[in-house]
Amino acid sequence: MRYNEKELRALSQQPAEMAAELSMRGPKKGSVAKRRLVKLVVNFLFYFRTDEAEPLGALLLERCRVAQEEPGGFSISFIEDPERKYYFECCTQEQCQEWMEALRRASYEYMRRSLIFYRNEIRKMTGKDPLEQFGISEETRFQLSSLPRDRRASCVGTQLDELD
Amino acid sequence: MHLCCQGRHFQGSQAPGNSRWLNCVAKQETPPRPVSSVVFVGAMKLNKRSVAHYALSDSPADYTGFLRTWGGPGAPPTPSGTGRRCWFVLKGNLLFSFESREGRAPLSLVVLEGCTVELAEAPMPEEFAFAIHFDVPGVRPHLLAADGQVAQEAWVKALSRASFGYMRLVVRELESQLQDARRSLAMHRCTSQKAGASRQKQQAPDSRSPGLENSHFLPRDCTPLGTVEGGGCRLVGQDLPEWELQGPTSLLLGRGQSPVSPETSCFSTLHEWYGQEILKLRQGWQQRAQGKQSGCRRQDKP
Repeated sequence: MRYNEKELRALSQQPAEMAAELSMRGPKKGSVAKRRLVKLVVNFLFYFRTDEAEPLGALLLERCRVAQEEPGGFSISFIEDPERKYYFECCTQEQCQEWMEALRRASYEYMRRSLIFYRNEIRKMTGKDPLEQFGISEETRFQLSSLPRDRRASCVGTQLDELD
Repeated sequence: MHLCCQGRHFQGSQAPGNSRWLNCVAKQETPPRPVSSVVFVGAMKLNKRSVAHYALSDSPADYTGFLRTWGGPGAPPTPSGTGRRCWFVLKGNLLFSFESREGRAPLSLVVLEGCTVELAEAPMPEEFAFAIHFDVPGVRPHLLAADGQVAQEAWVKALSRASFGYMRLVVRELESQLQDARRSLAMHRCTSQKAGASRQKQQAPDSRSPGLENSHFLPRDCTPLGTVEGGGCRLVGQDLPEWELQGPTSLLLGRGQSPVSPETSCFSTLHEWYGQEILKLRQGWQQRAQGKQSGCRRQDKP
């Protein structure tokens, strides 16, 4: 699968939601933990050698699982292979918590769920569709049907947290 | 000669002077790239397996359809010919292409962050082309063509609104609307009910709700850790991440570096701007197309 690498590299240079030097270990057996500059930009997690401007790699954060791994550490894995984990170690548990929360919210799918949830809540409270005034109420990406089936019921529930 | 030919193949006998027209859109010679401009960097890693899995997953796509594309391995730098027909799937800010609707592995991915989408001219006299532009050195626009005008406009609209930044803008707007709605509901209850102060607390916004946390998506303050490098002034699409980083207060103050004027500090104005831009681009494109047509006709005369 080809992808627009140059544009993705340029994205890695954009201001980040979160950026820090963390210890990172890849999913391959026998991989060693290394210091990396880790940067969260939109739904991508970029990682750099600490003294380099160009990223070593990127992780698309759609359909990922973020889990606590021992105090101060967390892992990212993907839904199709949950045992294949990228490990990160933070300086403090607070930093670790901050990263985990940020990463859990860093997917387009999460934002879509949030949007649908808020839209529904506002509709319930005011009787009006908040997207109508912007003329985007019919857009596919904002419809309940745009969610995978397993996510739909929760989105019209009362707690968004139930989804995670 | 009528430019609005639907077919891919040009019927020479039906279009007087068509060979002159083809000369008008002759391929431009590109100068050979100087070796010094090539930077040898190792390929960037990407979790392609997971990305492909996401492309094929049951999460419904935001838009799909057949498009002609001129990219691909071995493609010449300047698009020519009729292009290759592929099945395209838009999911979030990711545009995938497949060889067919039943394709089990994506051929390509275009990450749609920091781009603008405009109507364009295709190498052949096709009417329904558009291009995805990135403000990145050495990156050419991604040229695509739809089968008809309706599809063309729908794709331009869908791709223009595909960025994470745009989605974030909409979510923030709804977040604040929900806060307002809850506040006014609470106030209404306060004035209409004299007793039941404890009940009030239960009606108050749920502090655990993610929408009301200050650091929902971005830290309100740009801490040193939060911003690593600035992006400078770029096209609208790329400006959004920077702009949003400063939080709602600065949105109102219009401190963003977007080429859009400071008055477009609220979502509804920005949204209208997008809509107007598409209309303007279309008009400009149509005018240029008509101008070119008459320009070509002039060349027929000695």
